[in-house]
Amino acid sequence: MDPAARLGPAQIDVVAQLAVSTVLLGGIYALIAVGLTLIFGVMRVVNFAHGEFLMLGMYLAFFAFTLQSLDPYFVLVVAIPLFFGVGLVVYLLVMKGVIDASHNVQIFTTVGLSTALQNLALVLWTGDFRVIRPWHSSVVLRIGGTAFNLSQVVAFAVAVALTVGLFAFMKWTHTGRVMRATAQDRDAATLMGVDTDRVYRLTFAIGIACVGAAGVLVSPLYAAYPQAGLQFVLLAYVVVVLGGLGDMVGAMVGSLIVATVEIAGSYMFGTAWKEVFYFLLFIAVLVFRPAGLFGQRGAETLGV
Amino acid sequence: MPRRLLASLVVSLLVVVAVAAVTHGQSGEYKIGVLEPLTGPLAGEGKRHLEGYEIVRDMINARGGVMGKKLVFAVADAPDPTAAATEATRLITREGVKIVTGTFSSRLCGAASEAAARHNVIYWETSCVDPRFSKRGLKTVYRTEIDATGFGWYNVEFIAKHLAPRLGKKPSELKIAFLSEDSSYGQGVTESARQRAKDEFKMQEVAAEYYNFQTINDFTPIIVKFKQLAPDVVHHIGYTNDAPLFWRQAKEQNFLFKAHVHAGATGYGSSDFGKALGNDANGAFALLEPGPGFRIESLKPDGQKLEKEFRDAVQKRTGSYPLGAHQLAGGGLWLLKLVLDRAKTDDPDKFRAAVMSLDLPVGSMINGWGVKFSETGQNANDRVQHYMLQWQNGQLVTVWPEEFTTMRAKWIPLPAWDQRK
Repeated sequence: MDPAARLGPAQIDVVAQLAVSTVLLGGIYALIAVGLTLIFGVMRVVNFAHGEFLMLGMYLAFFAFTLQSLDPYFVLVVAIPLFFGVGLVVYLLVMKGVIDASHNVQIFTTVGLSTALQNLALVLWTGDFRVIRPWHSSVVLRIGGTAFNLSQVVAFAVAVALTVGLFAFMKWTHTGRVMRATAQDRDAATLMGVDTDRVYRLTFAIGIACVGAAGVLVSPLYAAYPQAGLQFVLLAYVVVVLGGLGDMVGAMVGSLIVATVEIAGSYMFGTAWKEVFYFLLFIAVLVFRPAGLFGQRGAETLGV
Repeated sequence: MPRRLLASLVVSLLVVVAVAAVTHGQSGEYKIGVLEPLTGPLAGEGKRHLEGYEIVRDMINARGGVMGKKLVFAVADAPDPTAAATEATRLITREGVKIVTGTFSSRLCGAASEAAARHNVIYWETSCVDPRFSKRGLKTVYRTEIDATGFGWYNVEFIAKHLAPRLGKKPSELKIAFLSEDSSYGQGVTESARQRAKDEFKMQEVAAEYYNFQTINDFTPIIVKFKQLAPDVVHHIGYTNDAPLFWRQAKEQNFLFKAHVHAGATGYGSSDFGKALGNDANGAFALLEPGPGFRIESLKPDGQKLEKEFRDAVQKRTGSYPLGAHQLAGGGLWLLKLVLDRAKTDDPDKFRAAVMSLDLPVGSMINGWGVKFSETGQNANDRVQHYMLQWQNGQLVTVWPEEFTTMRAKWIPLPAWDQRK
């Protein structure tokens, strides 16, 4: 039986629901990918530990909610500066030492950091699945034939705000211009008097602050556990490659493309296929448009 | 306070003396190897499993031990399959044990039993459910718990014999949608349930969908699809993060099925599910060992006595009702004692003959289990009685088979989401 064969009001509701789900899921992916694309784009570092900072953000929201009954949206205000600080510390302790090293060394370093953080979480907080239920996670909005969760809408709204904010920051502020200059040609930027170490420090801290905020925002929707980051981070790489490295708007569009492939694929072919589809897409983009769907200046320095 | 302390000290001393008196008749000790994941991600369950073993070991020793000797354990830690194999080998070669038991997890039992079989040592598994375990033709390997395919067998039994009549339908009129995570466990349960539902009861399968529990982020497309197929029963084998996600999104999408059935201690069978959803969890079924509501009186007289003693011992040691890991380890070790009582030796051939000759009906021992092993070393589905539990206001309670419980399944068919109170 093919449910798509008959077209009527019921079918329109189905399509509307799938579209809404796609947009909201895309928002969550964008939230996670935006920090990654920033670090990737400016520093040329593949941060394999990105998902673990997401996991830490989820745990922060969990403990703040269960121990102090603090709503995740309140925690968000604290989480952004806190994770900015975490980003700075991790940069100084770990990333600074390998920023001039080869890509292989950087990959080994961030994979090591990822495994270390996962196991630290396992030791400190066990492998249990931690779920919180703030009031907004059980508020369901119904418009027409579609239904969606309030926490998801908020996550989407913040994702859009973050994307737009970072885009504007990169485009119109002096610091943003300096960051873009460093991304395009590090040596030339240094010759122009740019303190590249400061740029990298700032980039890494902003990237980690974004993903920490993402962790807090998804905590009402998904369980926190030591490997929670893995659930999203592979996707974030697909998104970043699709959108073009370092391209904020590209990350948003890439997220929506991945979510479309996932939702439509699950509905039409079955969920087991979803990873087949978006990794085929991933490979196709790498082969035919290595600089991402929208292209990006400076991508050649990556050597991809 | 000190007086109470003194009193309890005296009582404990008396108990020790009493136990010493009972065990006095035993000459020496009989050591078996116990393999458990005591560190790593499975440590929590592994420790509970060991606790179950220790409780039943004490019950066995209070009755004179095994083969006239006091039963003692050589315990080894097996956090992963490699460790399970090397530690099993060490227990056999260094500690000289002739029987190894364990291991709680389907990840570990294959490697551990393989190592034991290589040394022609008896391997007595009490909880792993990997269907491949008993299909390797290993002559010294046994399993007391049913496997994942047995869970599928029980789920369909429940759907056909309990749900169908209460829904006013013949099993052949039931529309059933299968959804499952894609590990060997999920596939084992789901495929056996699909087969039995189709071949034996001619149920109408409307969907069979698998997903990876580590990467599923949104069930909406599946739920939208299922809503159009309008199944009476959703048979969903879920893990711990995906089960709450499915349930929450089914509520959001107002997906109204008439019943929802799961099997095993993960997903809907885990206490995490209740914690994640509170009273929203109401109505979900999970196949498990007996929980609250279980009627001891429904067992055979010997079984009643054992079950009561076991529960009291668990209560005394942990302060709670026995959990799944206690029950699987406890029931399994007691069965080992029954075999050794009969075989009177750990010689693999005579032991095997004793295993095959055991034939006890349901209700004979801990958990209301009976015994009848097949040639593959697997205890029979219809003897290892399993029970359907249902989430009712924050608690998983035993609801089926009805002769074994004081509680009754509610909300059949499931009413609207906000009316499950």
